[in-house]
Amino acid sequence: MKTNNIRNFSIIAHIDHGKSTLADRLIEYTGTLSSRQMEAQVLDNMDLERERGITIKAQSVRLEYTAKDGETYMLNLIDTPGHVDFTYEVSRSLAACEGALLIVDAAQGIEAQTLANVYLALDNDLEIITVINKIDLPSADPERVKQEVEDVIGLDTSEAVLTSAKSGIGIEEVLEAIVKKIPPPKGTVEEPLCALIFDSHFDAYKGVIAYVRVINGIIKPGMKMKMMATNKIVEVTEVGVFRPAMTNVSELAPGHVGFVAGSIKNVKDVRVGDTITDADRPVAEALPGYRKVTPMVYCGLYPVDSSEYDLLRDALEKLKLNDASLVFEPETSSALGFGFRCGFLGLLHMEVIQERLEREYNITLITTAPSVIYKVFKTDGEIFEIENPSKLPTPQEIEHIEEPYVKAMVIVPNDYVGVVMELSQEKRGEFKDMKYLDVTRVMLTYELPLSEIIYDYFDRLKSATRGYASLDYELLGYRESKLVKLDILLNTEPVDALSIIVHRDKAAYRGRILVEKLRGIIPRQMFEIPIQAAIGNKVIARETVRAMRKDVLAKCYGGDISRKRKLLEKQKEGKKRMKQVGNVEVPQEAFMAILKID
Amino acid sequence: MKTGLYIHIPFCQQKCLYCDFPSYDNITHLLQPYVAALCQEISGWGGVLSGTLIDTIYIGGGTPTLLPADTLKVILNKVHESFSIDEAAEFSVEANPGTTNQEKLLVLKSGGVNRISFGVQTFSDALLKSIGRIHSAEQAVRSVKEAQDAGFSNINLDLMYGLPGQSCKDLEASIQKAMKLDITHISAYGLKVEEGTPFAAMDQKGTLILPDEVEDEEMYTFTTEYLPQHGFNRYEISNFSKAGYECRHNLKYWRYQPYIGVGAAAHSFLQKERLSNISSVPQYIKCIQSGKPPIELRENLSTKVAMAEYIFLALRTVQGLSILEFQELFKRGFYLEYGDIVSELLQKKLIAVKENRIKLTVLGMKYGNVVFREFLPE
Repeated sequence: MKTNNIRNFSIIAHIDHGKSTLADRLIEYTGTLSSRQMEAQVLDNMDLERERGITIKAQSVRLEYTAKDGETYMLNLIDTPGHVDFTYEVSRSLAACEGALLIVDAAQGIEAQTLANVYLALDNDLEIITVINKIDLPSADPERVKQEVEDVIGLDTSEAVLTSAKSGIGIEEVLEAIVKKIPPPKGTVEEPLCALIFDSHFDAYKGVIAYVRVINGIIKPGMKMKMMATNKIVEVTEVGVFRPAMTNVSELAPGHVGFVAGSIKNVKDVRVGDTITDADRPVAEALPGYRKVTPMVYCGLYPVDSSEYDLLRDALEKLKLNDASLVFEPETSSALGFGFRCGFLGLLHMEVIQERLEREYNITLITTAPSVIYKVFKTDGEIFEIENPSKLPTPQEIEHIEEPYVKAMVIVPNDYVGVVMELSQEKRGEFKDMKYLDVTRVMLTYELPLSEIIYDYFDRLKSATRGYASLDYELLGYRESKLVKLDILLNTEPVDALSIIVHRDKAAYRGRILVEKLRGIIPRQMFEIPIQAAIGNKVIARETVRAMRKDVLAKCYGGDISRKRKLLEKQKEGKKRMKQVGNVEVPQEAFMAILKID
Repeated sequence: MKTGLYIHIPFCQQKCLYCDFPSYDNITHLLQPYVAALCQEISGWGGVLSGTLIDTIYIGGGTPTLLPADTLKVILNKVHESFSIDEAAEFSVEANPGTTNQEKLLVLKSGGVNRISFGVQTFSDALLKSIGRIHSAEQAVRSVKEAQDAGFSNINLDLMYGLPGQSCKDLEASIQKAMKLDITHISAYGLKVEEGTPFAAMDQKGTLILPDEVEDEEMYTFTTEYLPQHGFNRYEISNFSKAGYECRHNLKYWRYQPYIGVGAAAHSFLQKERLSNISSVPQYIKCIQSGKPPIELRENLSTKVAMAEYIFLALRTVQGLSILEFQELFKRGFYLEYGDIVSELLQKKLIAVKENRIKLTVLGMKYGNVVFREFLPE
């Protein structure tokens, strides 16, 4: 097929604005899959993705469409992850396209996440087609939303397409707009091979499969390809396209989107954003925009049952095969035993990994409270980074500590501006900017410590604004803060896994709330359990779990032993999710309690 | 091996407010068909167990003594006709004060019954009323004396503590009154609010005012200390008796010995298998009438489960668990299986090891569940 008849595009949308449904309709309309083969939301493969209504891995599908001009076009849709944790992945998927569909809910309008991704698309010089979706909702107001898109983003919406993906309205118009407005790819076959990796996955038989967009040149089996960032050279064994099932083809030409396999064992060798070239005739320069992805959030993962340690390690290794951004290393906690300190792109990424470990690998986990990476400047001049609060040296040894800050954009209806300001203030935010998007909606910009965002900023933002606020943020860099380590003592023994780093001014409050919370979580045992919060040697809060007076079933009715046994079994089941810390049994949720303080 | 026999009578004059046992106060019309079905089931078992000696019998309920004398006689005759009964068998019948009379007592006596267990619960009239009992304290005293006059010397009284409004003083008075009656056995149960009972509903509404935990514990401690000091040895967590008057039928439950249960909701234990009879009375009758065994649930115990049951039942008794007997029965090394658990429980001072027996300590009795659940398979 002529390069001129290729169109590569992404879809940008806020969660629930109908991205997956529209993608399904496009697949269906072009006959790529019959409706019999369609499973709702074809592109979200994992159960987790479907349940949460989010896309975690990028997906791609090739559609063939015969347009009204009589020509047949090859449309490559690259579906992108829709969450702030995966901003870099999104930017690479967008870089693989010439255009993007901006889907905006006809009732709700633009959200912060959409906005952030639109800016990414504009940075990549993409042609943007505005799609106003859900126009058949009673509360739809397409004109207002169009105006908002014009005012806020500055896009011309006179040719915006009105759709209802759910009811199948406007699908053909979307396809026509893609063909007419999005420019065809520019590359040539004569130039040396240059292809962008926008995602990858691990296949047990074929090794790592790279998802690529070819810019120039040809890639086909038998040739030697080189990954420029990692300098890895392998022979190409297979190339193919997504229809949406992986289908082998003889070659991928400029403008094509597809996959490349080459017996690559380690997903680390195939990095998102890297450039693939011909090892025998390489390009001089890699494509711009590549960066090594580094984790932003760390937490400890421990098996409740310590005999499952090896199982956990194997499971993490398997997950890592598919996820180069997941990092982990062994860690020992005096309270929790052997486990791993794991690094994630963000909170969602962390939750997804935890859930997959529990679900797919059936491991009962204890997760410690997430932490950011702190830079510690010691009085002796040494500087080091810690991602585990318990590793913070004593106050005497510390000159100062720095923590990561982010620029956060919050979009809210103007009635909620006050509460958002109050919340952001409380979270040590620094006000930067306020902009009216239209008469009722406001965008606030704050600079905030990342630790406050991962703590409970987003949850509180949502509840304070009844779910109307949307949030996006980007890393700004490190700043000095007055931070201290807050320790928790159970039965007078410090529990390393419960230590947190907090701002000095908030330590007393957090300590008090935390011990109260723990008192509610830790079940009564045979003895009284004091719970204390301390900074250094100074106890700042204390609660007590009273002793259970007795625990014995009195009556054994008429020889009904099974009933008695079942009662004991039920009790035992409850114990299973507990960890013995010293002589105290602590339920796993205690270690996350820190996150759930209202 | 000698076997125990349990017979269930699911009828009561009035359901107590705390009771979640399979017993009903509104199915008097089913009494005769039930007894007919029961007798049919007894005959059936008699055939199966021919050659097996029955050495303990326990008629429980409900209120067995609610049945008219002639009906009781029918059942007793059926039992004798169907089974070979050991000469020295223990034969208990549960009775509620106010439901016995001379005629019934004579029927029981001549039917071989040699032990009566009265559901007295407390000797405070106010408390009796508050828990929905039909009798008065005075009636309880009279019933016990009538039984003794009829020649019953082995008598148990069920007592309860932790009742709404009960104080330790009330309990002490009840226990002292019980001991004055020249009885041989006392079962002392703590009140537990069971799901689905009127007490549970009251608890939800906040109208059930129970003694606080400190008082409840005080009553428990008082009971378990006072009774042994006055000749009633504690031989199981909730059971106390004069020497030689332990309830042999109940001991079978704790010593993992076989028993069969007949009647609605009755349970049988036949080496490695537990059977539960249909608990609904009308369905039980229907099932028997249609000639099918009235079994609702058959549970084949895996070795792991059987071992766990054996242990937690044995540990309920003051004698505790015989390691040799365990190893003989299951052909497995006890410490090989449970060494870690034993060492942990020893450290917590919940159990004590003496020679080849493991027993709960005084503390362990109080926290029995903490010990028992450790032995259950993961």
